[in-house]
Amino acid sequence: MVVSARITNLLAYTSRTVSRVSHLGNGTSRYQWLLSRNTSLLQLRSKIQTAVPSITSNVSVPKENIPTADTLVRSDLEGLYEDIREGLNNTQPELRQIARYYFNGEGKAIRPVITMCMARAINYHLDQNSPGVVQKQKKIAQIAEMIHTASLVHDDVIDVADSRRSRPSVNILWGQKKSIIAGDFILAVASGMLARLQNQQVIILLSQVLADLVQGEFMQLGARENKDERFAHYSEKTFKKTASLIAYSCQAVSVLSGADSTLQSIAFQYGRQLGMAFQLVDDLLDFIATSAQVGKPVAADLRLGLATAPVLFAAQKFSELNPLIMRRFQEPGDAETAFRLVLRSDGLQRTKELARQYCNDAVTQVAQLTPSPYQQALVTLAHQLLHRMK
Amino acid sequence: MVFRSCLIRWKTHHLGSSIHPVVSFSRSLFASSQVYQTSWVQAVSNAEKVVGFPTSFLSLRSVANDEISNIAVYLKKLIGTGHPLITTAKNLVYSNDKTHQTRGLLVLLMSKAAKKESGQDILPEQRTLAEITELVHTAHLIHTGVINLNTPNANLEMGNKMAVLCGDFFLAHSCVQLATLQNLKVVELIAQAISDYSTAEFIEVVASENDSALDRWTQQMKLRYGSLIAHACQSTLILGNNVDLIEAGKSFGLEIALAWQANNEIQSYQNNANKADHVLSKLFPETPSVDVLSNFQAVRDRHVDAALKMLTAFPQNDASLALGNIVRALKY
Repeated sequence: MVVSARITNLLAYTSRTVSRVSHLGNGTSRYQWLLSRNTSLLQLRSKIQTAVPSITSNVSVPKENIPTADTLVRSDLEGLYEDIREGLNNTQPELRQIARYYFNGEGKAIRPVITMCMARAINYHLDQNSPGVVQKQKKIAQIAEMIHTASLVHDDVIDVADSRRSRPSVNILWGQKKSIIAGDFILAVASGMLARLQNQQVIILLSQVLADLVQGEFMQLGARENKDERFAHYSEKTFKKTASLIAYSCQAVSVLSGADSTLQSIAFQYGRQLGMAFQLVDDLLDFIATSAQVGKPVAADLRLGLATAPVLFAAQKFSELNPLIMRRFQEPGDAETAFRLVLRSDGLQRTKELARQYCNDAVTQVAQLTPSPYQQALVTLAHQLLHRMK
Repeated sequence: MVFRSCLIRWKTHHLGSSIHPVVSFSRSLFASSQVYQTSWVQAVSNAEKVVGFPTSFLSLRSVANDEISNIAVYLKKLIGTGHPLITTAKNLVYSNDKTHQTRGLLVLLMSKAAKKESGQDILPEQRTLAEITELVHTAHLIHTGVINLNTPNANLEMGNKMAVLCGDFFLAHSCVQLATLQNLKVVELIAQAISDYSTAEFIEVVASENDSALDRWTQQMKLRYGSLIAHACQSTLILGNNVDLIEAGKSFGLEIALAWQANNEIQSYQNNANKADHVLSKLFPETPSVDVLSNFQAVRDRHVDAALKMLTAFPQNDASLALGNIVRALKY
């Protein structure tokens, strides 16, 4: 009941935003197009144009060249992986091969997409159309993907993982030692690229991400004795491990565009909230995906000893979960017990609800920007994210 | 042979005036390494006095929250597993032989050696850089200590996990510190050093069509150790605005790193029972071990001399003298 009220609220809110953005029709269909990745903006062109003031109004764009919301940013990211591979070129052949392994173009590149969407939306808002600025922003998108990948390579060694994106992981193919060194190499190349952007503030922002990633990993090793602190600990860990990179990348592209601190904060907060929601949905799916298939092993996170949002919410109802959390589900049957109690509690519902709140807040942030196709794409991203939960 | 080594020892004892003669004559096989250690410890200890206080990991204290202090707890669990992380950690905490944290010291000496007036002190940014250099090197040591595991081994997996995290922690902290220096060139130089030492792990020391094995050894050591020290020396001169000394400082850093590493190889060759498997035997194949040693001592001495030559560009002061003494100590 509460949940459905929330959905209704969100939808009402969304449609309000959407109509403010581009005067797109009415009724339930108002948000439907946002949930579909392939909606062509072509049919909405005239409406977008009316909402778009200044720069494009005196530029005549041939009808057939107007891209979909998705390709709006994708076209900016064309050659993203080629550029990254090029950057990793200058070393010994074997290291080059390891470092390039995950940049084969099969990744979702979700971080570069968010980063470039934000960059374009902010540029539009500030009427910033210097090609030099966009070039630098594309570099940030690359660097974000490189930092993310370097951390994946290290995480796979830490978690003794044997596959990623349905291929054998780097550590399986080349061993742990070479994988770790390759991760350092990717990071070093990314830092060099960052320095060449010639912007002090951007360097400070992205080095904070590196510190956050490690600290988040350390936080994941420990659990809080005090159960009242546990959720705050989990949220902080989630920010550091997942949201920090997205948030600071969004802020960095806004800095390059010349944003003042208010605008930078909008960019950062959108990234933070989207990142938090992203992880919450991931944590939720870890339970849902397995519960659908009886006989399959229970949640992978529990196996790794991690107490994520669904468990922490469940523990508020079933206090017998607390000792299991503290011993990181290590004893036989712990993971199964925890899994059962989560399903009996409102843990999954409350996780969903929290993810929605974060998405809601993310949308509120970008609603403050001048309406543009890019701004709409940011709203779309938030909704696509929630859509994964269904 | 015995006579020859006695002669060398006699010479070293005369050249290094501060060394007690008893040391050089009382130990038969390891004498030269003892002499080296004594003169090295002396040179480094004197140099530490020149820069006021040695490098420390002071700034780490401000970030070491409770999660990170758990490292100690995890490290304790690793004792007895034989994971290299334990040795690295032990050397960081207790080092009596003054072979650790010398990179930071070199950066501080270089900073001070470049000051033209005696009253000028080392800048806070230069001290931060010295610490960053030490952190990056430590991260390098820790990450190259990650071991390959083909079969599951819970203890060693835990060791690897901690090694990855500790190394990442040092690297991330050095990036944050680098950003505070507000100098883009310095960020680029240190990043280059990290990518160089990563590359070094993939170079094999074997003769190829174009390079001799010695060339490959030199190339590997340049990348593995030379790049960080050279770039750190270059960076501290950039921060100190000693524009005219940058090139000399950078070359000095590279040469001292190579001399230092050459000296390490010599010490380990001398103390190694199985000389045929040692890297030096690969550099000079089918050569009697006494000639291997003298050939390679000549290589080391070339780097020592090149480093000393670079120092002549610097003003005469206690820091540049200390740098000279450290370099000369590597000859024994």
